[in-house]
Amino acid sequence: MGDIKGLGARHIVLVLCSFALVWLALAATKVPPLEALGQLVQGSMGSPAAWKQTFREMTPLLIAGLAVFLALKAGLFNIGADGQLVIGAAAAAATAIKVPGLGGVLLACLAAIVAGGLWALPAGWIRAYRGGHEVISTIMLNNIAGFLTVWLVTGPMRDPTQQSGTTAVLSSDSWIPAAVAQPPFSLSWTLPVGIVGVVAMALWLKRTVVGFELCAVGANRTASETAGVKVKGVTVWALMASGGLAGLAGAFFVLAYEHRFYANFSPGYGFDALGVALLSGGSPWGLLPASFLFAVLSSGSSAIQLTGVPKGLNGILLGLLIIVFASVRYRRSRLGDD
Amino acid sequence: MIDPTLLAASTITLGAPLVLAALGGLTSERSGVMNIGLEGAMLGAACATFVVGMQTQNPWLGLAAALAAAILLMLLHAVLTQAFAIDQIISGMAINAIAAGGTSFLGKAMLDETSLLRAPFLPTQTYWCVAALAVATLAFYLRWTRGGVHLLAVGNDPDKSRQMGLDPVKVRYLALVATGLLCGLSGALICSNSGSFRDNMTAGRGFIALAALIIGGWRPLPTLAACLGFGLIEALQLHLQGTQLAGAAVPTEFWTSLPYLVTLVAMAGLLGKNRAPAGLGKP
Repeated sequence: MGDIKGLGARHIVLVLCSFALVWLALAATKVPPLEALGQLVQGSMGSPAAWKQTFREMTPLLIAGLAVFLALKAGLFNIGADGQLVIGAAAAAATAIKVPGLGGVLLACLAAIVAGGLWALPAGWIRAYRGGHEVISTIMLNNIAGFLTVWLVTGPMRDPTQQSGTTAVLSSDSWIPAAVAQPPFSLSWTLPVGIVGVVAMALWLKRTVVGFELCAVGANRTASETAGVKVKGVTVWALMASGGLAGLAGAFFVLAYEHRFYANFSPGYGFDALGVALLSGGSPWGLLPASFLFAVLSSGSSAIQLTGVPKGLNGILLGLLIIVFASVRYRRSRLGDD
Repeated sequence: MIDPTLLAASTITLGAPLVLAALGGLTSERSGVMNIGLEGAMLGAACATFVVGMQTQNPWLGLAAALAAAILLMLLHAVLTQAFAIDQIISGMAINAIAAGGTSFLGKAMLDETSLLRAPFLPTQTYWCVAALAVATLAFYLRWTRGGVHLLAVGNDPDKSRQMGLDPVKVRYLALVATGLLCGLSGALICSNSGSFRDNMTAGRGFIALAALIIGGWRPLPTLAACLGFGLIEALQLHLQGTQLAGAAVPTEFWTSLPYLVTLVAMAGLLGKNRAPAGLGKP
């Protein structure tokens, strides 16, 4: 992990190139860039309904971001958050359909955490005991999760009254209620829970032995091994805990927003979560502005579609954001760690 | 029963893009640059070949655009990882995001009114020959030439090879240009197989190619075999759709996830030892 030293002209060039690319893309659509920017702000923060949409997007991004962040602290890239999220969502939907009511909600969250954690287990095990890179194994697990859930909702979990592959809608007593409901604005309890999660994570990393060991493994595997930390064990459970959190993000999205589970459930929250975790800058508090920024981009880019700017702009912006930020923050030292 | 010639033909059709992409991954990862950006490079190439091919109605210009797009994206990966020393995974992710967003953006911005126009393509058999030739060339190059040995040396231990007088950064730039070239061919082939460009049309083939590379132990010939194996699985799935196996219907989703499952099993070390280049991911 790099420090701020060694920034130079080439970083400025990188930022300028990024701006030029976005400007060029907007010029190609013949929408004035400033107008597009205005639309983006308007569409994500301009009205109560826009705020509602932004907070809705922010919830899975924040919690899945927390998941990826946890793994990143242990020096692991959990690209599998997306797969763990959909598996968690499927488990939550299945549980909540069987067990309605408040108990069902809690049970569904628990099921999602367990399912997400187990989905990350092979990646953790392969990394710790076989030396296979967790990025590759989690990419494989993402794809398997995608196909598995498509099969589930077109087969065993399918609501036979529906045309497309989806589960039945949950009965309304197993929905997570809104904390603030003043139509058109509403805010689900899940976002405050996520914020509490950030606080808990910050304290846990700083104040507990386990949290400290996790950070030690992330900072230097060899040194922590020498100091007596069981690096392999930490690797496995860090990825499992990360998977559990990602699964919880999926459960919240089912229970608070979608109220059902369907094929291709996640529009890539797990991947955006990696961006959120990177942008947090190594501090859990950073997750809040980072997930808010990604949520603004996501809900705003739906809005600027109406003015003729294709939604793909979102991907370009995210990629550039990650590059610029990583060029400052996540550089490998020339002396070679790991 | 399945017609074996038909099955062989679809195996090659579905396997050839994987072969080209996996070889691209091979040159990159053998030089020590981890590359999950293959997917993005292929997608960029597929989009470029269609847009340019449609505008100019010239298959060669379309191919050139595909190569240029993929090489540019891979050079970006090289610059970010070597000059800016960004983590190779992060850079690959960013390239995938930019390629997915950028091609979707271009597709919407350029192809709206003229979507009825078709782009001309080279016959797919050309690509098959190039793929076969590339396997042979790469196998020979890595084993018998000075450049190949340099590539392997840089990938195995960048620091020692630097002390031996090699320039790892230069070797990696060249390796990534080769990666771009091969991914460009792969993307162009995927686009000409389907005849037009769609959002996210590579559909994870870059990752399957990476998987084949791992199963093949980062060696050209075993990688070729793994790619054709995955092609065969995909072909079987198309031919067996709806039929029953041992009395029970096997869901299509099982067949489509088979390559990923096999790769996980291979990574767990159940199919032989881990052969990853020692210097993979080192700066």
